[in-house]
Amino acid sequence: MAQNQALRWIQLLLKCTIFLSMTGAAVSSRLFSVIRFESIIHEFDPWFNFRATKYLVNHGFYKFLNWFDDRTWYPLGRVTGGTLYPGLMTTSAAVWHGLRKIGLPVDIRNVCVLFAPAFSGVTAWATYHLTCEIKDSGAGLLAAGFIAIAPGYISRSVAGSYDNEAIAITLLMVTFMFWIKAMKTGSIMHSTFAAVFYFYMVSAWGGYVFITNLIPLHIFLLILMGRYSTRLYSAYTTWYAIGTLASMQIPFVGFLPIRSNDHMAALGVFGLMQVVALGNFVKSQVSWQKFKTVMVLSLAFLLAVGICGLFALTYFGYIAPWTGRFYSLWDTNYAKIHIPIIASVSEHQPTAWPAFFFDTQFLIWLFPAGVFLLFLELKDEHVFVIAYSVLCSYFAGVMVRLMLTLTPIICVCAAVTISKLFDVYADFSFPQDNAASGAISRKTRLMTLITKLTVCASFLGYLYLFVYHCTWVTSNAYSSPSVVLPSRNQDGSPALIDDFREAYYWLRMNTAEDAKVASWWDYGYQIGGMADRTTLVDNNTWNNTHIAIVGKAMSSPQDKAYEILKEHDVDYVLVIFGGLIGFSGDDINKFLWMVRISEGIWPDEIKEREYFTPSGEYRMDAMASQTMKDSLMYKLSYYRFPSVYNGVEGMDRVRGQRIRQQDIGELDYFEEVFTSENWLVRLYKLKELDPIGRDLRSAGEFDRNAARGLKKRIARKPALDFRV
Amino acid sequence: MSQSLAMLKVLIFFVQLISLTQAKPSSGSRSLVIYDKRLTDLDDYSIFFSNLEERSYHLDYAPVSNGSAVVELFSGEEKLYDNLIVFPVKSRHFNKQLPAERLLDFFNDGGEILVMTSPNGVADNIRIFLNQLGIYPSPRNYELKDYFHVDDNGLVRLSGNDVLNQHVVPKSDQDVLYEGSAALLGSSDLIIPVLHAPRTSFTEDVQKQGDKWTVGSQGYVMASFQSLRNSRLTWVGSDSFFSNKYSAPNQQFAQELIKWTFDEKSVVKAVLSRHSHSNGLEYADSPYKIKDEVVYDIGLTEWNGASWVPFIADDIQFELRMVDPYYRITLKPKYSPSEVQMYTTGNFNLPDHHGIFTFIVGYKRSGLSFFTEKDVKAIRHLANDEYSRSWDITNSWVYLTAIYSVIIVWVVFVALFMGIKRKSLVPIEKKTN
Repeated sequence: MAQNQALRWIQLLLKCTIFLSMTGAAVSSRLFSVIRFESIIHEFDPWFNFRATKYLVNHGFYKFLNWFDDRTWYPLGRVTGGTLYPGLMTTSAAVWHGLRKIGLPVDIRNVCVLFAPAFSGVTAWATYHLTCEIKDSGAGLLAAGFIAIAPGYISRSVAGSYDNEAIAITLLMVTFMFWIKAMKTGSIMHSTFAAVFYFYMVSAWGGYVFITNLIPLHIFLLILMGRYSTRLYSAYTTWYAIGTLASMQIPFVGFLPIRSNDHMAALGVFGLMQVVALGNFVKSQVSWQKFKTVMVLSLAFLLAVGICGLFALTYFGYIAPWTGRFYSLWDTNYAKIHIPIIASVSEHQPTAWPAFFFDTQFLIWLFPAGVFLLFLELKDEHVFVIAYSVLCSYFAGVMVRLMLTLTPIICVCAAVTISKLFDVYADFSFPQDNAASGAISRKTRLMTLITKLTVCASFLGYLYLFVYHCTWVTSNAYSSPSVVLPSRNQDGSPALIDDFREAYYWLRMNTAEDAKVASWWDYGYQIGGMADRTTLVDNNTWNNTHIAIVGKAMSSPQDKAYEILKEHDVDYVLVIFGGLIGFSGDDINKFLWMVRISEGIWPDEIKEREYFTPSGEYRMDAMASQTMKDSLMYKLSYYRFPSVYNGVEGMDRVRGQRIRQQDIGELDYFEEVFTSENWLVRLYKLKELDPIGRDLRSAGEFDRNAARGLKKRIARKPALDFRV
Repeated sequence: MSQSLAMLKVLIFFVQLISLTQAKPSSGSRSLVIYDKRLTDLDDYSIFFSNLEERSYHLDYAPVSNGSAVVELFSGEEKLYDNLIVFPVKSRHFNKQLPAERLLDFFNDGGEILVMTSPNGVADNIRIFLNQLGIYPSPRNYELKDYFHVDDNGLVRLSGNDVLNQHVVPKSDQDVLYEGSAALLGSSDLIIPVLHAPRTSFTEDVQKQGDKWTVGSQGYVMASFQSLRNSRLTWVGSDSFFSNKYSAPNQQFAQELIKWTFDEKSVVKAVLSRHSHSNGLEYADSPYKIKDEVVYDIGLTEWNGASWVPFIADDIQFELRMVDPYYRITLKPKYSPSEVQMYTTGNFNLPDHHGIFTFIVGYKRSGLSFFTEKDVKAIRHLANDEYSRSWDITNSWVYLTAIYSVIIVWVVFVALFMGIKRKSLVPIEKKTN
C-alpha cells in the first residue's frame, strides 16, 4: 500500500517534470523569432489585433465593445467592436491587468508577443487530456509532446504571431477534451464546460464553425450507428443549448447560429436528438411492429418538413445561404471565378503535398495508422477522432491555412500509434511461460528481444529526427516576422531588410495625422498599426466594392486613378516594389488580383485580358500591353527605376525583365515623396489640383517644356469649344 | 464652456477685423508696374496711378527694354509684390526677363495681376501665360474693329450695361470707349468674362488683311480670372483704356475693374464655421452618433474696400458628404453681429448611416472669391446599450410572454412532478407478459 502511494507520487512528479519540460520546449522553440529578430508583432493580422488590444487596454471594455474605428475603411469606417472576435484581446488584456495586479507592470506589446508561446503549453496540456480519453496517459504524453513542437501548429504560434489562431487551437483542444469527457460520461458539468469553452472559442476565432459542425457530426454518426444513449442526449443538448445561447452574445456572431446555413447542422442534430429520444421512449412503451410504422412515417414526414423548411427559409432569405468561403471548400475553383478576393489570399490556396510532411514530418504517416487502430476498437470517442481526421484531412488539402486544425488530430492519432507500438514492443517483461521448453524459448526470447529493441530503437530514432526537423523548420521557415526580411550581405553575413518599418515610420513622422493612405489591402493593418494613418482598405476584407475601388484606381491610367482617389480624399498612395532586390511578394505580382477584383465590379472598364501581351503573357518590359504600361501600378512601381541603372533601362529582378524609361513615361498626377532604402516601399502624394484649372497632365507638360526651354513662338488661333 | 469659447473666438475675430481695416485691399498693397518705355509713357496714365496711390497702393516701376535686367518677383520663396500691373511690352527679351513660368508661380502664390495687351505689344511670355489660363488674346497687329458701335473718333463704344459679371463691375449707363485687341476665351469655369466685343465687331490683322482672330461676340475685350487659390487676374485688350485721354468715360469702369482685381471688393470669407448637437454640446464632448440632431452654423463676411460687412446671399448650401452628399441644405440667415452674417442649417438629423462624414460648405461663384469650409467627423453607430430595451418595443411582448410563460409552466411542471406522488397507471401484469 505504502509502496503504491510512493509509486503514485513518483508518477506525479515525473508527469509534472515531463509537462514542465514540454512547456519549456514548446515555448523555447517559439522564441526563435525573438532571438533571431526582435520582440516584434509579425505579419499583418497580428498588427490589427495588437492595435485593438492597445485600444482595449487604454479605453476599457465598454469603449472597446462599441468601438467605431474611423481610421480604417475611410470613409465608411468600421464598426470594429462589433466585427471582431474579442477573445484574443480580452485574454491578453486580462493577462496584462493580472500581471499589474501582482506587481509586474509589463508592456502590453510583450504580453502580445509572448502570448502564443504561452498558450502552446496549455494546448499541450489539453491534448494530453484528450488523448488520455482516447487511449491512455502514455499516448497522452506523446501527443502533448508532438503538439508542443509540431511545425504545423508552430507556424501560427511563434512569439509575435499574435493571431486569433494562437489562442483558438488551445480552446479547440480544450473544448474537444471536455466534449469527449461529457459524451463518455453524460456529465452535465463536463458538457457545460465544453459549452463554456466553445463560447470562449467563438469569441476568439471564426473557425469555431468547425466545432459547431464536428460535434453534431459526431452525434449524427453515433445515432446512425445505433449508439444513441441518454448520455449522448444529456451531453449534446446541454452543450448545444448553452453553447448556442452563449455564442450569440458575441456581437459579431449575433443571430448567425439560427440564421446561417453553416450552423444549421447543429440545430438539425439538436432536433434529431429530440426525435430520437422520443422514439426511444415510444419504443420502450409500444410493440416493435407499431413502432416501426410510427418511425417510418414520422421520419419521412420530419425529413420532408425539415428539407422543405430549410429551402424555403433560405429562399426567402431568413437563413443566410452558405458563405463563399464555404463553397470554396468544396470547389477549389469556385473562389477564383466568383470571389477573387478570397482566392487572392495565399492562405486560401490549396496545399502543396510536401507541406504535409514539412509541417508534421513522420507524424503524417503514423496518422493513418492511428486512424486504423482506432477503427479496430471504435468506441464512441474514437468515432469523434475518426470524423475529425477525415474532415480535416480534406479541408487541409483544400486550404493551406486549415493545416492548422489538422495538426492536433495528426498528433493525437500518431501518438496513439506510437503508444500502441510501444505498448507491444517496449514491454520487456516476459510472462512466466512454464509450458514451453527452455532452449526454444530462449531463442524466441532473444529474437523477440532483438525485434523489440530494433523497433524501439528505430522509433526513438524517428522521434529524434522529428525533434530535429521541428527545430530546424521552426527556426528557418516559421520565425520570420515578415515585417523585417532576412537577407545576406555580399560577404555572406546575415543582414536585415527593414524597409517596411522605415517607410511606416516616415509616414508617421512626416504626414498629417489625418492623412489618408491608399494601398492594396494587404498593408492596411500594418499602416494602421505602425504608421497610425487612415487607410482605405485593410486585411479585414469586409467590403469587396471598396477594395475594388482601390483595385480600379491601381489598374486605371493616372488621370482616372487620380479622380477616383481624390473622390475618396486620399493623400498618399503606397506601393510595394520588389524589383530592385528581388522581393517576389510585391504589388506587381499581386496586380492581377487587383484587376480581377475590380473587373468583378466594373467589367466594362477593367478587362483582365488587356493587361496581358497579345500572346497572353504577363510582362512588364517593352512587350507589355499599353493598358499595363498606362496603369497606375506600373507607373508607381517603376517610376524613376531605370535611373538606378543607366537611365534608359532598368532590370527588374523579380520578373527578370528590362523596364524601359519610355514605357514608364511621366508621372503628372502624383509626386514621389518617399522611397525606402531597398525601394521596397514607395510612397506617392497626390498632387493638388492645378490652381488655374488645367488638368495636371497639361500642367506637367507645360512645366517640362518650360524647363527644356521650348516656347511656342507663333501664336495660332486655338480650336476652342463654345463657352456655355 | 463651449458657449464662452465661441464668444472668445468671436472676439478674437473682431480684433483681427479691426486691424485689417487699416489697409484698403484685403490682400496687400505692394505693387509693381511693368511697362515698355517704347510703348508706354507713364505720364499718360497719371490719373490711373494717382487713383491707385490714393487708395494707399505702393507702386514700384520696372521699365523693360532689350537691355534691362531680369524682373524679380520673388526673393527666395517670398513674393516681393502683392500686385502686378503689366502694360503691353514688345521687347523680345522680355521673355527671358520674366518667363511665363515665373508669372504663373507668382499668380499661383496669390499674386494679383492686371495685364494689358495691345495690337502693338503682346509679349510671348504674357501670351503663353494667358494661354495657360485659357485666355487667347489676339496677336500683334490684330485690332478690334467695328463700323457700327463707334464714336466720332472711330473708337469702339461699349455699353456699361453689357457687363457680364456684376461682382466684377456693376452695370452702369455710362458707355466706355475702347481701342485695342480682343481675345478668345477657353471654356474654363475660372474665367470670368467681363465685356464682349460688340456683335458687329471683328479682330483683324491690320497688315495682312483678311485674317480674323475673333468675329462678333465670340471675342472678348476684357476678361477676368480667379484661380482656385483666389488669386485674381484681369486681362484688358487695350492699354489706352486706362489712359488720361479716355479717363472721363472710362475711369469709373476702370476703377471697379482694378478694385476687383486687387481684392478690394467681392472678397468673401467664411469665419466661425462650427457644428454641434442641437442642444449645444460639441463633438468633443459627445461624438456624433447616427440620427443625432445637429446644427451647422457658418459666418460669412465680405470686404467692401473699407471694412468687413455681412455677406448676404440666399444660395449658399451646406453638404454632408460621404463620397456622395447625404444632405444638401440651403443655409438660412440666422443673426448678424455687426460685421458677419451668420447662416444656419437649422436642426437636422444625421443620416441613419455610420461612417466618416464631411461637413462642407463650398461656395464658388464666378466673381466672388471661393471658399470651402470642411470638417471631417465620424458618425458612430449606436452602442450596445443605446438601443431601446426589449420591453419598450410592443412587438416583442409576444415573445416575452412566450418566454416567461414557458418558464413558469416549466417550474410548475417540475413542482407538480416532484410533489405529486406517482401512481402506477400501467398494470404490472402487462409487462410480465
